[in-house]
Amino acid sequence: MIEINETYKEKTSFNKRLIFLYVVFGILGIVFYYQIFNLQISNYSEYEIAAKNNKNEEISVQPLRGIIYDRNGEILVNNIPTFDLITKPIFIDDSNDFLLKLSSFLEIDEDEKKVFLSQFEKAKALNKELTLMQSISDEDRAKFLVRSHMFENAYVGKRYLRNYLYPEIFSHSIGYVGRPNEDELDDMYELKGLNQKINFTYTNQLIVGKTGLEFTYEDILTGEFGKNLREVDARGRTLGEEISKESKAGNNLYTSLDLQSHQAAHKALNNRKGAVVAIDIKDGSIVTLFSSPTFSTNQLVNGILQKDLDKLLFSQEKPFFNRALKGRYPPASSIKPAIAMFGIDQGLIDWNFSIFDEGFFTLPEDGRIYRDWKEGGHGDTNLFKAITQSSNTYFFDLAYRSDINQLNKHLLSIGFGDKTCIDCFEEDKVFVPEPSWKMNKHNFGWFKGDTVNMGVGQGYLVSTPIQLAKYAYIIANKGNFYDLSLKKDLVKNEKKIEFNKFSNDDWFKLHESMVNVIEGNTGTARSLREKKDYIVAAKTGTAELVSGDNREQYSETRLDDSLRDHALIIAFGPMPNPRYAVSVVVENGESGGSVAGPVAITVLNSLIQE
Amino acid sequence: MRYLDFKRFSIYYDPYLIIFITLLSIIGLFFLYSASDGNSSVLIKQSIFVFFGLILMIVLSQPDPQIYYSYSGIFLLVSIILVFIAIFFGPEINGAKRWISFGFVSLQPSELCKIFLPVFIASYLYGAKLPINLKNTFLTIFLIFIVFFIVSSQPDLGTGIVILLSGLYVLFLAGLSWTFIGTALAIFIISLPFLWNNFLEPFQRQRIATLFNPDLDPFGSAWNITQSKIAIGSGGILGKGFGEGTQSHLNFLPETETDFIFAVIAEEFGLVGLTILMGLYFFIFIRCFYLSINARDRFCRLVIGGLSLVFISTLFINIGMVIGLLPVVGMPLPLISQGGSSLISFYIAFGIIISMASHTKLVPR
Repeated sequence: MIEINETYKEKTSFNKRLIFLYVVFGILGIVFYYQIFNLQISNYSEYEIAAKNNKNEEISVQPLRGIIYDRNGEILVNNIPTFDLITKPIFIDDSNDFLLKLSSFLEIDEDEKKVFLSQFEKAKALNKELTLMQSISDEDRAKFLVRSHMFENAYVGKRYLRNYLYPEIFSHSIGYVGRPNEDELDDMYELKGLNQKINFTYTNQLIVGKTGLEFTYEDILTGEFGKNLREVDARGRTLGEEISKESKAGNNLYTSLDLQSHQAAHKALNNRKGAVVAIDIKDGSIVTLFSSPTFSTNQLVNGILQKDLDKLLFSQEKPFFNRALKGRYPPASSIKPAIAMFGIDQGLIDWNFSIFDEGFFTLPEDGRIYRDWKEGGHGDTNLFKAITQSSNTYFFDLAYRSDINQLNKHLLSIGFGDKTCIDCFEEDKVFVPEPSWKMNKHNFGWFKGDTVNMGVGQGYLVSTPIQLAKYAYIIANKGNFYDLSLKKDLVKNEKKIEFNKFSNDDWFKLHESMVNVIEGNTGTARSLREKKDYIVAAKTGTAELVSGDNREQYSETRLDDSLRDHALIIAFGPMPNPRYAVSVVVENGESGGSVAGPVAITVLNSLIQE
Repeated sequence: MRYLDFKRFSIYYDPYLIIFITLLSIIGLFFLYSASDGNSSVLIKQSIFVFFGLILMIVLSQPDPQIYYSYSGIFLLVSIILVFIAIFFGPEINGAKRWISFGFVSLQPSELCKIFLPVFIASYLYGAKLPINLKNTFLTIFLIFIVFFIVSSQPDLGTGIVILLSGLYVLFLAGLSWTFIGTALAIFIISLPFLWNNFLEPFQRQRIATLFNPDLDPFGSAWNITQSKIAIGSGGILGKGFGEGTQSHLNFLPETETDFIFAVIAEEFGLVGLTILMGLYFFIFIRCFYLSINARDRFCRLVIGGLSLVFISTLFINIGMVIGLLPVVGMPLPLISQGGSSLISFYIAFGIIISMASHTKLVPR
């Protein structure tokens, strides 16, 4: 019985303990089942999205960029399809072997190989796609495509190349596109909601406006990004791709730029350093915005050898520098009509007021001599003659009697010292000097002589070609003007300069005197008379870079090209109802009338005779 | 108790266990086919294991439990010797020496230990009085830890843990005194920090840490668990369909054929599929419970109880790991994961269980 008892006791104990363990596992089972229920039912949508995010890679597709037209509907910039050979370094074990295999039937030049090898490891580490060959020929493309089964980790990608039809002529006005830098990429991610992975895949290569109109009107030109969905595995290998949202092409940009006048300016300047700006008087739109020397935007956008780029970057001629918007030149004698307007408006002079010009002006305070450009002077000189023959002495005297602060205000009101253009890229507003400016800048008080120098557009006064053009435009349109712009049909408000005494009759006389600069027998630009068959008003200027106290010194400085005077002209025509105003600067051109003048007339001809 | 009488010889069997195990094995083949990306060579190899494994199970059901009782020591000894052979002569794979290669197939002898250790302990404690005295307790625990350390040194922590559990289950079921259990637990808890610092490899500590805070290392050791949870969660109620699991087929999920096959099933068949699968396991547990309660003697009780708990533990450790409730440790989903050793060891276990369940006692004792 003892043994049966013992057996019974043992069995009962066993059963209890087995039940205990099964209950423990039962409870665990419920916990597990609850967790599974949580995962599959309660949080299903969250995990479903996570699974989709795992396998679906969203690829942003760059839309076709808008086309840029000139004012007559000529295409200036468009896009042409091109094909690149793209590789996926992460799946390529041996880059040299891969190159060897490819070069058995493709001619890959050494530069491309070098670039590829130098970027290979980095691209591999970042799981980035890498371009091996850019813009491959149709023949190479066919050669690759028939062998593509051998190159699972390379493919031919199509992209659109920005094509500048006149690559040298609009380099500074239209500008160019380029690959976005880090900051621009961040902007794109934020503003356009792009997937950051776009930077790691080729798609059709991101481009963004870097300068000029391409930059200013980036938003118009870009369009809306599309989306492709790629199915990828855990290694990032693409298994399939489908379009989930079509990209929307950018809008076309219609500009006020005029093709013929740019070609004319390009030809006339003939790579000399300088700038041409022309304005359509009816609405203040810029028809010509040209800086010389220039460079090829196509070359820059579609691949340029580093040594060629260096040559451009470090050239003494500074081709990238936009002289039309940023070049600072003393306006020299071309400022004289502005000073005349000021004198009349302030009641300091009228058209009858005259002085005797003996070839120099003596500053009463310290007896300092300010010389005229003409030895012996112009004799009896009224305002009409002072403008036509460009008498310095007359304007030295007028400036001497002017209040510098009032003069400063006047120059500001007609476009100096401020931005002139609504949609230009990086315009330099420069400044108009006055006593507090000089104190800040040079830590020196204002001398009466500083004002005297300003009277002939020298001294501290500098301006950009576009400011000179706006100034010419304001004179041509008798004080009424719009802000300058490059986009066609931009809605702008007309502005008007307020005068005290300067009347409509004064405008007429000012125009008359400026017409005589060319048409008069004694005008400084009379050599231009035969180059056109309509009447043009103008004012020339020759900006001294070095002020020589005497003639001997002056001829010495002429020996150095870069120290020679700048040649300037402002002009508008045809008179009496002018349609275009133009300014021309030719660096170290020496003579406003005979060097800058012909360029201005050529440009006006191309605009007016169109 | 239950056998087919063919006059000259009898076949011993248990219809419920055989049906459910066969069913699970066949369903497992389907799952494996999908989990291995339709790799037919994996499927064929596994099918051969299943086929011969089921035959082995029937064969091992035939001897009287007395045989297992008498030879349990030899079975355990042979298993341990095979483990040593693997350690000293076996091929090194991923830094571990767990396998003995037979040319066309490699087997893990440690899998045999988790079967024959509980069988041996059951036979050793067969006659022990209740509660089990200290001498027997310590001897048994000593043996369990020796086998545990041998297997863990391969290294194979997963199997080691199951071996540890298998021995302790039998010891517990045999009537280990509660005083001892209480004392041991107290000592274990007090020495936890010491064990943490001295007995766990840095990667093991990391795995446990990420269990409680997956954000610690989202791309390192938590990656597997994160992907596994995504796979399970995205399966929803009905799943994505056979072969349609993106997590498994696009390689986001690791070890799809082995440790993480449960996540593949969850992704492709959803909660409904999992419920059916777990239902099958549940029936096997309940049947084993019934059989052990009604076993003919103490030895059979302990063996059926111990082996069925080994089976249950393997299942729970695997699922617990895959659903993110337990740290990652190599553990197959029993009867489904790819791998002959685990499969065969469970067929052996069920062969022994059926033998014990179907033989009536010849001589009452």
